[in-house]
Amino acid sequence: MERVAVSDSLRGPVRADLDEIFRRDYARVVGVAARVLDSPHQAEDVAQEVFLSFGRSSVPAGEATGWLCVAAAHIALNVLRSGRRRVSREETVAAGDAAAVADVAETVVTLDERSRARAALAQLPRNHAVALVLRHSGLSYAEVAAALDLSSGSVGTTVRRAESALRKELNRDASSD
Amino acid sequence: MRHPTDGMLRRLLDEPAGVADSDRQHVAGCSRCLSGLAIIGEDAAIVETSLSTEAAVDVDVDAAWRRLSAAATATAPGPQLANVPARAGRARPILRRPTVAACAVAVVLTGAGVAAANDWLPIFRTERIAPLSLSTSELNSLPDLGAFGDVVLTGDGDVHSVPDARAATAETGLAVPEVTTLPRGVTGEPLYQVGGEVSATFTFSTDRTVEAAAEAGTTLPLPPPGLDGTQVRLVAGPGLAEIWSRTTGVPSLVVGRAVAPTASSSSDVPFEALRDYLLSLSGLNDDVAAQLRAFNADGSTLPLPVPGDFVETDSAQVDGVPATVLATRDRTMAAVVWVDAGVVTAVAGSLDVDEVLSIARELR
Repeated sequence: MERVAVSDSLRGPVRADLDEIFRRDYARVVGVAARVLDSPHQAEDVAQEVFLSFGRSSVPAGEATGWLCVAAAHIALNVLRSGRRRVSREETVAAGDAAAVADVAETVVTLDERSRARAALAQLPRNHAVALVLRHSGLSYAEVAAALDLSSGSVGTTVRRAESALRKELNRDASSD
Repeated sequence: MRHPTDGMLRRLLDEPAGVADSDRQHVAGCSRCLSGLAIIGEDAAIVETSLSTEAAVDVDVDAAWRRLSAAATATAPGPQLANVPARAGRARPILRRPTVAACAVAVVLTGAGVAAANDWLPIFRTERIAPLSLSTSELNSLPDLGAFGDVVLTGDGDVHSVPDARAATAETGLAVPEVTTLPRGVTGEPLYQVGGEVSATFTFSTDRTVEAAAEAGTTLPLPPPGLDGTQVRLVAGPGLAEIWSRTTGVPSLVVGRAVAPTASSSSDVPFEALRDYLLSLSGLNDDVAAQLRAFNADGSTLPLPVPGDFVETDSAQVDGVPATVLATRDRTMAAVVWVDAGVVTAVAGSLDVDEVLSIARELR
């Protein structure tokens, strides 16, 4: 019943398959954005922006998943680079809960590493960063290739270069601490 | 044999089946390639760990869909007034958008006073705004005015961008509200948009109403004598908006100002008769109909129909003026709107209530 009401509220120039594609791909799109931002709330903000754009687009349904994931990666990287990351009250609370139940030292190290990884990700060439995020979000080589208009063979090369560069950035940051 | 590339070794880690048999066999017997594969595997594992996140674990798709629905409705492109044909039959689609239709019906239904002559008599002037909470299904079930007669757009909004605040004031005659402090997460310069006066004339048609009732499978009560041909003219604008957007074009903060709506009637039928007759045809339940009748007291309160299942309303004060506060139930968007001296001002965005109220109270 509720679902009917929600669909009704989307009347207007919104593509007819949005509901189906949203329910199928929303978690995946959030996952892509979260890889970049490491923030569930910001990742959902990004996913909302992505689906709003998608809802008014004419992207073929068969290309929807790839388009959504690429858009999520780009928007999340934009957020990361523009320094618009905001730590919400909920995240602060959640972080406190996590620290309370986990080993404190390990949690701090993990959080620091994650933070440095995002900073390093923001420094990568955009196409390398997007390919890396898509691959680590579970897209297959064929899916990454189709989404980024690459050959399958070059996906491995791009991901490898991105991982190598990211590892160097992480090592550099660690050694300068 | 040539050694496989690093890219191929990387794929070998993830999708061995995607690598040719000959390459796999080579790697298995090549110490150099095995060494390279180990380094690549280590890098991949470290990157995987450092990019790990728990964010997607607890996604609530239903809640996310409700949020998207609210945002899609709020950011739906406005009526393309410049391109709208002037005749009612073709103008209907823009009035079918639930909120627009509800606003138009509400303004007509709540106009006050008795139009006793054939001249245009002012029956409504917005001095304040009050929310009228409707369920989504009630909003969607509201018939547009085209079901009751002809709607002719006699004004052209011509919404367009202008380079700066000075140009916005020059075109609209309205002072541009100056935001003194932007909330966190909102940056940059706003886009300025202006629109001219928009007006529409609604002419009640008994024939059209009978036709609509027949389509709905209902029979009509007899209309009051003289109702056929009664006209109500709605006028709103000009107006302006300052829009701060995200990279995708989704507004994060909108501050808008416009000359508030007014309505006039040419009818020699008591307005209450028109109102009650339309209400009897509207399909609204008794509670909502009673609320609309209550707005009629002095013809100065504009009902603001809101989807009560998505939006909560509250009241507040902005510089001593009563204001209506709207917030989506998932707390993703908030707005405050008020009327002062015939000018309606609104502050809205993907912000919380405290933020929009703070911005509103600090406007210059």
